[in-house]
Parts: sequence; C-alpha cells; structure tokens
Amino acid sequence: MSEEAGDTPLSVTEEPLLPVRMLNEFAYCPRLAYLEWVQSEFADSVDTVEGRFHHRRVDESPKRQPLEDEAPADTETGIHQRSVWLSSERLGLTAKIDLVEGVGTTVAPVDYKRGKRPHVGKGAWEPEQVQLCAQGLVLRDNGYECDGGFLYFVGSRERVAITFDQALIDRTLELIAGMRGMARSGAVPPPLVDSPKCPRCSLVRICLPDEIGWLRQEHADDAQAASTLRRLLPARDDALPLYVQQPGARVKKDGECLKVVDHDEVLAEARLVEVSHLVLFGYVQVSTQAVQELCKREIPISYLSSGGWFYGLTTGLMHKNVELRRRQYAAAMDQRFCLRLASRLVQAKIANCRTILRRNHMAAPATVLQDLKRDLQHAGQAQSLEELLGIEGTAGRRYFAEFRGMLKADGAPPEFDFEGRNRRPPKDPVNALLSLAYAMLTREWTVTLHAVGLDPFLGFYHQSRYGRPALALDLMEEFRPLIADSVVLTAINNGEVQATDFIRRMGSVALTTEGRRRFIETYERRMSQEITHPVFGYQVSYRRILEVQARLFGRYLLGEIPNYPSFTTR
Amino acid sequence: MRRLYIVTYDICDPKRLRRVFKTMKGFGAHVQLSVFQCDLPEIDVIKMKAALVELINHQEDHVLIVDLGPTEGRPIKSIESLGKGFTQVERQAQVV
Repeated sequence: MSEEAGDTPLSVTEEPLLPVRMLNEFAYCPRLAYLEWVQSEFADSVDTVEGRFHHRRVDESPKRQPLEDEAPADTETGIHQRSVWLSSERLGLTAKIDLVEGVGTTVAPVDYKRGKRPHVGKGAWEPEQVQLCAQGLVLRDNGYECDGGFLYFVGSRERVAITFDQALIDRTLELIAGMRGMARSGAVPPPLVDSPKCPRCSLVRICLPDEIGWLRQEHADDAQAASTLRRLLPARDDALPLYVQQPGARVKKDGECLKVVDHDEVLAEARLVEVSHLVLFGYVQVSTQAVQELCKREIPISYLSSGGWFYGLTTGLMHKNVELRRRQYAAAMDQRFCLRLASRLVQAKIANCRTILRRNHMAAPATVLQDLKRDLQHAGQAQSLEELLGIEGTAGRRYFAEFRGMLKADGAPPEFDFEGRNRRPPKDPVNALLSLAYAMLTREWTVTLHAVGLDPFLGFYHQSRYGRPALALDLMEEFRPLIADSVVLTAINNGEVQATDFIRRMGSVALTTEGRRRFIETYERRMSQEITHPVFGYQVSYRRILEVQARLFGRYLLGEIPNYPSFTTR
Repeated sequence: MRRLYIVTYDICDPKRLRRVFKTMKGFGAHVQLSVFQCDLPEIDVIKMKAALVELINHQEDHVLIVDLGPTEGRPIKSIESLGKGFTQVERQAQVV
C-alpha cells in the first residue's frame, strides 16, 4: 500500500516544508490556511487556548531515547513515543505527531483533539482525518509501516480509529497540491459565505468573512441591506488601557498583574489579562520583567512626554504580514490611488463635522451646513492633493468658527471661549483639550495600524509631512469630529474639566495632572461607547471600530474589496 | 460573554498557597481569605484553570470554581451578603 503514494511526484525544493497542521486548516477553510501560512496571522480563541492546555503533556519534549534508535533495531519492542517530529522531503511535509504507538516497524500516529467526538461518519471531520493521514504518510516515508491511526478526543476520552484507505490518501495528496497551488498563486481565497464554521474560527476578527463578502458585492452604498449581517466581533472589549502619569512611579510585574508603585505606596494593580495597552506619561519607569511580559502578550507600551506628546512605542516583534506592507508601499507610489483614497477620507471627515454640528449646535446656521455640503462635493471632484488640502482647510475653518456654539452657554465659563483653532502651543483651554484629544487619537491609530501589520509612517494623503505617523493621520481624519471633538464637548459641557484644571504659562495653556486624568477618563468612556456600525448595522464600540477599519483598509490594499468603506454616522 | 465566578481554594503547602494567591490576583478581586470574585470571559476562565492545574498538588489541594452566570444584563441574585456589602466591580480604563 505504501508504494502508491510513493510514486506521486510532489517534490518541492524551493518552498518551505508544509506543516501538517496547516493541511487541517486548509481542509477546514482555504482562506484560514492562507492567512495563517502565507500572511502569518494568528489569534487565540477559546478553542486554541483550550487545545494548547490539553496538549501540554504531549508537547513536552521526549524524555526517552528518540524513535530512530529504538524501533527498527529490535522488532519486538513496543513503541510509545510522545511529540515526534518528522519530515518528508518528497511530500514537502513536516509533522509534529502527538503520539506514535506500535510494535517494531508497524506504527500508528495518535492525534489529540480537544472536545468530544463528533457524531459524523467515520467518527471525525475531514480536516482531522486528513491531518492524521498526512502524519501517516510522513511516517511511511521515514521507513515505517502505517495503515491507520487514532484520533483521541480529550473531552469524551474516546479513541477513534482511522484507516488510511486509498480515498483518504488521494484526498490528502489533492489537498497538499491545492495548498501549494494557493500559496504559489499569491491570491487570498475568498471568505466562506454565511458559513457556520466562521463564528468559532479563531481568525474571524482578522478575516472578517461576512463584512468582506458583503463589501465585495456591488451594492456597497446601500446601508440597509447590510443590517442583516451576523455580528461576529465580540460585543465588549475584554481588555482596557492602563495610563500612568504619576512622575516617578514604577511599573512592575507581580505574578499575573502589573503593579504601579511610587516609593512604597501601591498606586494601582491591573490584571494582565485585562490590559490592552500601557501608556506612560513623562518620567515613569518600567521594569524589564514587565516589558518582556507585555511583549510576550503582544500588549504595546506607549511613551509620551508629560504633556502628552507621543515619543514612541514598544511592541513585540514586528508583524509578520510582509505581503500587506509590500502592497502598502506599492500603493503609496500610485498618485491616482492616493487621490481617490484621500478625497474619500476628506469627504467622510467633512460629513462627520457636519453631523456633529447638526447634533450639538443649538442653532447651527443653515448657510454653514450648506457650505459644508458644498465642500463635501468639491472634495469628491478634487484633481490634486493640494487642492484637496485647500478644500479641507476651508471646511475646517467653517466648522471651527461654529465650534463655540456647541459649548453650553451656562455650563461653560468665559475661560472656554473659543475663537478658532490654534496649536503649537495651544493658547486657550479649548485648544489645549483639542490638541490633547488629537494626540491621543493619533497614538491610538498608530498602535492599531502597527498591530494589524501596516506601516503607520507611510501615508497616502499626508504625504508631505515627514517624520509623523502619516497613515495614522490619514485614517484618523474621519474620526476627529466623532471621537476627539465629541470628547472635548462632553468634558466641558458636563463640567468634567473645569477652568481651574489649566495652567497658563506665557501665553500657552496646558492641563494639570488631575485635569488630564479626568479628561482621559472621558476619552476612554467615549472609546468604550457602543454605536451602531453605519454599514454593517451591528453594535460595536469605537475601540473595536478602529481595529475593524484598519483591517478593512488592509483588505482594500490587498485588492479584496473595491473601496475603503469610510466611516460616517448619521 | 462575561460570567461571574466565585473561586475558593484550600492549599496545604504555604509555598503553593502564595503562588495560587498571586495567580488568582491576575484573574479576580480578592474578597475574603481564599475567596476570589472573578468576572471573566470564557477564554480567561480556561487560562485560569490551566494556570491552577499546573500549580496545585492534585492529591492534597482543592480549588472550587462556582459559576454564577452572565454578568451583563441582569443583577446577580444568587448572592446574599450579610455585614459588608457585595459589590460588582466596574470595568473601566485605569488612569494613575
């Protein structure tokens, strides 16, 4: 039986050996295999964490003599070897086998699976059968006889015997060839359509199957049709940022927690599983143990000046998705692409400014609203980035001229008078708040883009500004009014930030530590607020929306969706 | 979906007790000696169990995990507290 598979010419020399596990993913969903294998994306889900937990015994490196020394020499010895790693150059496969059992040269691979045995034909789903069969083929190529194997289901403690018959072997070889072809073609397979496999897939947040599927169709402007989309994103964010702005404080790792201490006083404790991001203002120390742990968990650390200026970022290794960055660089060279994207972003920004005015202004002058609408149309017809910059500037001035009208007359003391936007340094409290809010949003976007594998420093609209996170500034445009301006309005109108929270120094204005603490809390509340997604119709928080938009932008760069769906609310 | 759990333990060895305590601090609020109140999504419950299973001595120690149901949408009625009150921990970004 072993010769039949042996005659097939599948030899691969250039490409890396294919892990047998990937074959399982390919049989489950080709797109999943592409994302994990070619783009090196990975995310944990309940299933992967539990799977790893159940695998901890079999994954331990073998304590006994390796298989090769033992088995072939003495045909009578029984084999019971955990975590066996073998490869087959001929098939181009490499396999980590949980357990190999047998007598002499006749062996059977055993694969551990979490959960219970599924009640389907042959007692297992195809992906698991194929994975096991591929392990068997690798064993055969290493000189063993292997006609079948076992799947062990930890949940129900059942063993299911799988025979490697011709049909299964043919299917396995077919899938190996299919996976190689897919990787070589360099085109990501389309997402599954409304598949029951998606909700429990660990990569669903990266893949966005339903959203991409819907945006690929023609009706991308008809918002109503999408409201039936499944919400595959988690409703609530499980992790939140930790800000430390106390000068002289130290951040340490203590067991499963981060501990913020000032001399001997414990200022705060935060559980690592609940921290999404560590933000440090000014002179705050972090221990190496804490940095290492945060890198390991892929939690970024941001360093800011004590005034909130963004200096830098510590993350684990760079994102492995090279394909995405390559497309980003190529796209940034294309002038027409840049203009098309930029005008879309500016349009969305003007539309959102107009919405904010209409919602919060007590008596927004109709002429301003009309002017903004006209600016919006002009932005769509702009012939160059310079022209677009001019249109954006005009619209911005119109909008900020009316900004005072959105501050409550009784709630806001005269200190919160606002004449127009000024910065570097801001000259009045409202401008100080706006600058801080924009800085926080820029940081948020820089971190998000970094986390999804894009380069935050190469932009499409903000090309002329060097040394700034241009892509973050690009994608942030439409969120300036929705998040930053709205937070400033909330903080002032609710009295969360008061006139006494500001320090004036020679014409410039800055926030006190206490004032900034309250302002950051207002900002974080806004980010956690759940809103209805204007295109997909489900409820998500702004925090999650930034991630979704960043991922959709990546899909747009990779050519999967025809247009970047800019974010506008009604 | 987050659920509320009460985790209590009885650990025979002081060294292991400290380790279990430190680990539990990472998953919940310490309410009483050997009692933690944890508001966790499914994935973190598994992480917690995995960490505990590695730490404890399976012959001598005992950890009890009581599931009190979903945290969102409805008040937790299964808890009656005498003396000091029982508070459900609010989740928000920490600023220090």
